[in-house]
Amino acid sequence: MTDSVNKIMIHLKNINLTLPSFALKDINLDIQKNDFFSIIGPTGSGKSVLLEGIMGLIPFSSGNLILENNDITTLAVEKRNLAIVYQDFALFPHLDVTQNIFYGVPYHKISKQTAQKRFDSLVSTLGLEKITKRHPKNLSGGEKQRVALARSLIFNPTVLLLDEPLSALDPNFHEEAKQLLKKIHDELEITIIMVSHNFSDVLYLANRGAIIKNGSIMQQGEIVSIFERPNSKFTASFVGMKNIHPICKKNGKMIIKENDIKIILAHELCNTDENMGIRPEDISLKAFTSDKFENCFQGKIKKITSNEIFLNIYLQTQNFQFAAIWPRQAVTEC
Amino acid sequence: MKRIEPLSWLFMFISLPLILLLTLPLIKMTFEPSVEMLIETIRDKDVVNAIARSICLSLFAGLLAFAMGTPLAYLLARKNIIGKRIIEGIIDLPIMIPHPVVGIAILSLAGRNHPIGRFLSDVGIQIMGTKTGIVCVLLFVGLPFYVNTVKAGFESVPIRLENASRTLGAGAFTTFMRITFPLTWRHMILGIIMCTARAISEFGAVVIVAYHPMTAPVMIYERFTAYGLKYSQPIAVWLILISFILFVILRMLSRSIDR
Repeated sequence: MTDSVNKIMIHLKNINLTLPSFALKDINLDIQKNDFFSIIGPTGSGKSVLLEGIMGLIPFSSGNLILENNDITTLAVEKRNLAIVYQDFALFPHLDVTQNIFYGVPYHKISKQTAQKRFDSLVSTLGLEKITKRHPKNLSGGEKQRVALARSLIFNPTVLLLDEPLSALDPNFHEEAKQLLKKIHDELEITIIMVSHNFSDVLYLANRGAIIKNGSIMQQGEIVSIFERPNSKFTASFVGMKNIHPICKKNGKMIIKENDIKIILAHELCNTDENMGIRPEDISLKAFTSDKFENCFQGKIKKITSNEIFLNIYLQTQNFQFAAIWPRQAVTEC
Repeated sequence: MKRIEPLSWLFMFISLPLILLLTLPLIKMTFEPSVEMLIETIRDKDVVNAIARSICLSLFAGLLAFAMGTPLAYLLARKNIIGKRIIEGIIDLPIMIPHPVVGIAILSLAGRNHPIGRFLSDVGIQIMGTKTGIVCVLLFVGLPFYVNTVKAGFESVPIRLENASRTLGAGAFTTFMRITFPLTWRHMILGIIMCTARAISEFGAVVIVAYHPMTAPVMIYERFTAYGLKYSQPIAVWLILISFILFVILRMLSRSIDR
């Protein structure tokens, strides 16, 4: 217990934040040291507001923000030693890359030599050697992001906050930026909180996270656990689940309520009435029926739509529809 | 060659009388006095003093607007202060109200019958017939031009840049000096130019508050009423020429600093 308390880097306790047209409601979160923690939610769910609240740019209406066992709820933004990288990177247009990176140094207790060493190391790690004298208007999206990261990391912040760091990037830089963020987290052993609406990015980068909807946390924990065991219909559809249906126990067997279809579950139900979701990519198509397989149903393909690589297949079985995704090649072979 | 659309021709045709209305009287006035007359006028010490007084006091009003109007413009651009719309309306008032009314209003406040007037008099500040009074009036009429220009400048700086600076450890004042000011100083120069330009041209309010010491517009009016058009025109020409050169220099200076 003591160990887990000591490991907690940020603790949000009963946080409420009221804006004219939006509110964060009773947010409780624990972010551990060296976590890559992701706040995930659709547009307008309040994830960026929560990030700005943690940063101190928007004051919380009530609740406490504890950073390394210190209550920083009312501490001024500039004294929190947190750093944020915005979606649009917010580089200072009148300063060149070097001046941008060194901007925060005078406000932290860092000697000139240490700052220079960190600068050299960051410039090398982030591949900025050739652009140190350029102004932001002459940088690509990927370069801007790397400069913004260097600017935030030079003073060794306690926590790095990332506001949708991948969404403003050209698709060509997207993968490269993902790798870079992973590398920064692994090499610098820094706690990162990232806001995102893209669950596939989160699945690759984060180890823990929270799902937010309309200003409330819907689920939090290990990312894999959220992905595999979403606790609500909303979370399930957000993490890519389809075929979501209510199930219940009837005569000792699990059935899909609407259609009386008997199914065998991978794990026991916590509650008597729950929803079941089947990922479309988990549905296999066979040209024959067999009793050897569990949860095997005979049916007809009703509709196929294509997105070049994958096919969306809609199957009709026993008055019940499944949506499946299959690679184009696999269907041909099948 | 790019073809001009019929609608553009129509709009140009409608715009032409306006451009002529603005330029013809000025061109006529500028080229009417002879060179000898212009030289004779500029040798007149009173004329030189009046033009210098007009320009210097107007520049001083412009600098006062910079010092006092910048914080006001920042507040209006960035903060949701109570009565913001009313304050914005008050700032625009000098553009709308007749300028003799401005003069009368300032005089009524600065007179001995008013507590503010008595206080100013007690601390040795005279408004009526002094340079202080003229600067007051010039600041009054020029301030909307400064505040509105600089406010637009502050609004053009994304608040996110200021937030980013704060998150990097800079305080509010340092952020203003290192981020907001460098990104808006050109608006401030433009605001000073506009405020000064408006102040140089002011006549209606100045003539009520301070007929003497005489500014260039008051002298033009005096020469016109006492001696006629022939003697007032050369002063106006010199005022336009000197002001024009001054503003061109200021704009060039602001561009060269920017480079």
